[in-house]
Amino acid sequence: MLDLLTQSPHFYDYVTVAVLLLGLFNVFEILFLLYNKNMVERIEREKLALKRLASTALITSTAPAELLPGPAAEYEFAAYSEAIASVLDSFEGEIADRARALIGQLGIDDHYRRLARHRTWYKRGNAIDIMASFRLKASREFFLAVYRSEPVHDVKYRIIYGLSRLTREHADIRALAQMLSALPYLTPKYTEDIFYNIISALKAEGKEGEFGLFMKETLNDQSVQNLVKRDCINACFAATCEKGRGLLKEYYAAYPHEPEILIASIKALARIGDFSKMPEAMKNPDWRVRLAALKYAHLCCADLLPEIRAMLRDNSYHVRINAALALAKAGGAGRAALQAEAASEDKFASAAAAYALTQEPA
Amino acid sequence: MTVFLIWLAVHASQYLVFLYFLVVNSTYTLLILFALRDIVRHAYLTTARVARRQLASEFYYKPVSVIVPARNEAAVIAQSVKALLNLHYPEFEIIVVNDGSTDDTLATLDREFKLVPSNKPVRLQVPNEAIRGVYRSAVYPNLVVVDKENGGKADAINAGINVSVYPIFCSIDADSLLEPDALLKSSKLFLEDDELIATGGIIRIMNGCTVKDGAVTEIGLPASTLETLQVLEYTRAFLSGRTGWNALKSLLIISGAFGVFRKDVVVAVNGYRKTVGEDMDLVMRLHRHCRDNKIAYKILFVPDPVCWTQAPYSMKMLLKQRNRWHRGMIDALLANRVMILNRKYGATSLIGISYFVFVEFLGPLIELFGYIAIPILWYFKMLNTQFFIMLVLLAVFWGISINIGAVFLDIYNFRRYKKTSDILRLCVMSAMEFFGYRQIMLLERLRATLEFRKKGWGTQDRRGFGNKGSAL
Repeated sequence: MLDLLTQSPHFYDYVTVAVLLLGLFNVFEILFLLYNKNMVERIEREKLALKRLASTALITSTAPAELLPGPAAEYEFAAYSEAIASVLDSFEGEIADRARALIGQLGIDDHYRRLARHRTWYKRGNAIDIMASFRLKASREFFLAVYRSEPVHDVKYRIIYGLSRLTREHADIRALAQMLSALPYLTPKYTEDIFYNIISALKAEGKEGEFGLFMKETLNDQSVQNLVKRDCINACFAATCEKGRGLLKEYYAAYPHEPEILIASIKALARIGDFSKMPEAMKNPDWRVRLAALKYAHLCCADLLPEIRAMLRDNSYHVRINAALALAKAGGAGRAALQAEAASEDKFASAAAAYALTQEPA
Repeated sequence: MTVFLIWLAVHASQYLVFLYFLVVNSTYTLLILFALRDIVRHAYLTTARVARRQLASEFYYKPVSVIVPARNEAAVIAQSVKALLNLHYPEFEIIVVNDGSTDDTLATLDREFKLVPSNKPVRLQVPNEAIRGVYRSAVYPNLVVVDKENGGKADAINAGINVSVYPIFCSIDADSLLEPDALLKSSKLFLEDDELIATGGIIRIMNGCTVKDGAVTEIGLPASTLETLQVLEYTRAFLSGRTGWNALKSLLIISGAFGVFRKDVVVAVNGYRKTVGEDMDLVMRLHRHCRDNKIAYKILFVPDPVCWTQAPYSMKMLLKQRNRWHRGMIDALLANRVMILNRKYGATSLIGISYFVFVEFLGPLIELFGYIAIPILWYFKMLNTQFFIMLVLLAVFWGISINIGAVFLDIYNFRRYKKTSDILRLCVMSAMEFFGYRQIMLLERLRATLEFRKKGWGTQDRRGFGNKGSAL
């Protein structure tokens, strides 16, 4: 093959051209590198200046659009949208209204609507992210329309995130829960984040009751994944949703064989001072459920000390340690039990007890 | 017959060298192109908005155990731990594992952080040498120190895993500094994707940078050529190499200097194995475990979280380091040889491992073969001089453009080196690398190939995190 190559009449001409082209390419790379560096630095400076100008205009002027140059380049749109999102996060009332109005006046919304249909998925995703940060009610229908035609899951997750900030009633929440259930489950934190946004949006509208209604409807709804239900409970607890709290016991009772839901319910119930399910949970066959209950045992279960003490011999390391810590926090009787166990022949129990005794009482 | 054999050997050697040249350079070029696509996408999706949201919400994080194996690190350990205590993260614990140090590492930790014994039972999930004691800082409740018998870095991390309480752990070298938001950026990925089991950030060289209060405050290139060449190598290895492998779903190394892992999966593969290449070995075993058990998983490199590390400043130390790396790679490949050209392991095997076997492992042998063959062929007047010169020129220019491409990836998106003089210097190094440095590294890799059964890390020389003038 090499002979064939080298014997070809123009072989060395071609190789010489290739070497020269590579040499030129290297010079071009260096020049482009320096040019790009200067260009990016200039853009960064201008973007920062524009962002400051927009923020100042939004806060100090009643007609900011008159003070601001219309955006043309991508970085100018980015600068304005970052400034507006920041103002919307920090202000309410007239200033926030001005910021929302500016989105339309400067054509920012139209620009990102166009980008949301770009052929490159991450550009669509970025545009959706930016639009979601505006929380414009008018974006809701657009998001729904884009969702229907969007083929990429990564973008769909972002659209759901955007929609979660624009929730109005329990039908919206139900639609979002079904969208989430139809997609591959992403992560607990993502789903919690969605429900957290929903609760926050409803609270802002004074419609927290809608979330309670949704939780009631979803209790036995097979079309919503159990993991989504669990994250809903966790979000309810994180966002201190009063209306969902009443249903926590019902969820606990409805899913006796779903440790994830049981754990979420135990945590949420404990946070509102309801420990009625703890004795039952401490006997659950799943060690994670027993562990979740033990974390709060010292707050409620003075009469359960023998049961907690027995858990020092549990098969799970985590349960043993937390049983010991629960006893340590349970006052004199608990510490006395630990002292007795520290001398026990059961090495696991004695080690856990000895460790817990070195911890500060509650 | 003899003449025929010589003729065959000559022609075979030409084909082999030419093919190797084409495969290596094409692979690097493709990796750069994949990396460029990945970096642009990453830049789009990693918006400041997302990071702010993650920072602002106290509910959206997973607690992390930061494990720092340390053997004879008295010179740097206090500053390293102080830097880690300043990480921007809502909930984390730092576990320093004193791996049988013979210097004052433990005493320094005790003096600086007021250690008190802890008798919390340790759950032995992965094997490690005997633990002599576990201590907790009286000043920083999230600082734990484990004192154990010497067992090597892998063993020390295993001990850290056993002592750790959180579901994700980050292993970091004692002589490295994490940027304050590095943990946040890397662990955020675990929130975004349940399939993620391991991730690593970029390792950058702190030689030449100014370090103040355990943080890199001013970034610059080191004065020495040897250290600057390593900056170029790291830039190429991480930004074009690992980002490119990432795109091909064939990432086989997460640097031991900074990696973040899901603990349950690492425990499932019995933790780290005692070897000098424990980082590559672990990642290969994670791939194997997940593929064998049909577990959906992802192992990702992200170019954003930065860990600063000290690069060897003398040739002797550098050769020792490269020897160790190469031995580690060979050992990992041998230990996981079932993955070589095995369709069961998909792209990881057919692309990633094939590259390591045929380019990284066999490459030095082929290159040496080329260097030896040239004078012999020339002596016997069998060398096509014109072709040889053209091939060398092509190789050098192609290699330079790959190096500058890697520098471009860095400057395009991350712009750590802001001075024009630094950028130009990296471009000059892109060419200089081919004249001497590359050949010395080649010889050391060959030596490592011959003595790959040798165990141990050898001693390490630490300078401490001083400023660029005095120490780095």
